[in-house]
Amino acid sequence: MENSMSIILGGWLSAGLTIFLFSFLYKDNPLFKIAEHLYLGVGMGWWFIVLLYGTWIPKAYEPFMQGEYVLIIPVLLGLSLVTQFIPRISWISRYGFTFIMGYGAGLVLPLNLATDFMAQIAGTIKPFSQLASMSWGAIINSFLIAIGAVCVLAYFYFSVEHKGIVKKASNIGIYFLMIYFGASFGNTVMARFSLLYGRFDLLYDFSGASYAFATPIIIILTVGFFALKHFMDKKKNSGVSQP
Amino acid sequence: MKDKLRRFLRIDRRWIFLLLTAVMVWPIIHPFGLSGKTSQQSVRDFYDFVEKLKPGQAVILGTDYDPSTKPELHPQAVAALRHLFSKDVRVLILTFISGAPGMIEELNQTVPAEYGKEYGKDYVIMPYNPNYMAAMTQMSIDIYKAYDKDAEGNDVRGMPVMAGIKTYKDIAGVIEITGTGMLDAWVAYAGDKYGVPIIGGTTAISQLGFGPYLQNKQIRGLVGGMRGASEYETLISKPGKATSGIDALNMAHLLVILLILSSNLILLVIKEK
Repeated sequence: MENSMSIILGGWLSAGLTIFLFSFLYKDNPLFKIAEHLYLGVGMGWWFIVLLYGTWIPKAYEPFMQGEYVLIIPVLLGLSLVTQFIPRISWISRYGFTFIMGYGAGLVLPLNLATDFMAQIAGTIKPFSQLASMSWGAIINSFLIAIGAVCVLAYFYFSVEHKGIVKKASNIGIYFLMIYFGASFGNTVMARFSLLYGRFDLLYDFSGASYAFATPIIIILTVGFFALKHFMDKKKNSGVSQP
Repeated sequence: MKDKLRRFLRIDRRWIFLLLTAVMVWPIIHPFGLSGKTSQQSVRDFYDFVEKLKPGQAVILGTDYDPSTKPELHPQAVAALRHLFSKDVRVLILTFISGAPGMIEELNQTVPAEYGKEYGKDYVIMPYNPNYMAAMTQMSIDIYKAYDKDAEGNDVRGMPVMAGIKTYKDIAGVIEITGTGMLDAWVAYAGDKYGVPIIGGTTAISQLGFGPYLQNKQIRGLVGGMRGASEYETLISKPGKATSGIDALNMAHLLVILLILSSNLILLVIKEK
């Protein structure tokens, strides 16, 4: 019984907050503000609890209490970042940041250079050594990728004046970029609609008897709130305009 | 006539929001069943990779998404887990995103029971780890350096699911479902460096960015957005949330196309006059 009550309450909360946030599409209102502030507060709370119980206690506190005293070094380096909030001793945070930057750069740079730079150059060139064994489609694809890569690079190469062959290449590069932007925009629209569908689907789930008709009741109450607010604002304005 | 057309172009956008709501809610109430055709090679590659796995092999399933991308990515994770369990593959579920444990819990409550899978024997859920770089690097030397306990605090060393697993060499592949840069990280820290096959599931927005990795075989397969998820659901013959969502998505796209076409036509007519 208690479990089903908590499920119904969860449904009402979820449906209510979704509708309150969607109400901004009509106009800014207090219901939207409530949902917005609640979202920020709950988000921060969730993040804090996950970090506390998922990182601090199992990764720092418990091992330290079991005798892994060397952990005091990373813990102190981490805590040094908090001194940013106290201007008088904020210089201490530099030790933490220095470690993070050194460690991060050392780990990221070589690998990303290999993965995103060298491997991509190799991947663009490699098909030209295998043309004899490739299908016509794959050959055309390889040429398109190579031409696209060179032309887009020419567009972003500003050390020479864009005229003659460089201008022609950079102009072709613009077409490749435009195709990418178009496809990217189309995918973005699809992604946003997918998210919208997710909320609508949940609202539909919450509209049934198993959730005590949460969605229709909240929609009616929200519409009622807007109607009442509109009526009161109108009355207030007409009262002000009277001498 | 000209004024009427101009008025159409100045229509209050809230009417368009309402129209969009109507066309998207309609198929949720009355599904049309428009989906069902697989067209993307990258989705088939994803499917083929899992299909070729042998029973008992171990796979890492990275579920790095939170409620903000759930409609696109959760169906992918559900479909991938169903497919893995149907192949009797051992699954190590892990995450580097603080909002993901709730999503993993949802997976845990539904999918394993469908296939009679036992926690600790067939799959394990690792705790949230905030430092993905350290964890991915440590796992190349010793997985237990990064994960000695599961999400509930139990020792993972004695679990049957972890038998014979010590480093990436004992892992058949990494399936990463994410809308973040975590897929890039797996490619860099596990795929390119240690030769672990990487397969991805991502949001439609991020999908294009992974094109170069796909082209270069740094990623073996990719499922993108709700469309990709619906294609994957079709391949494993387990229609789910993505399949039902495609109707709404198609209707919304149709509305956008109609609005773009009609607005441009009106502009042309106004100009001609």
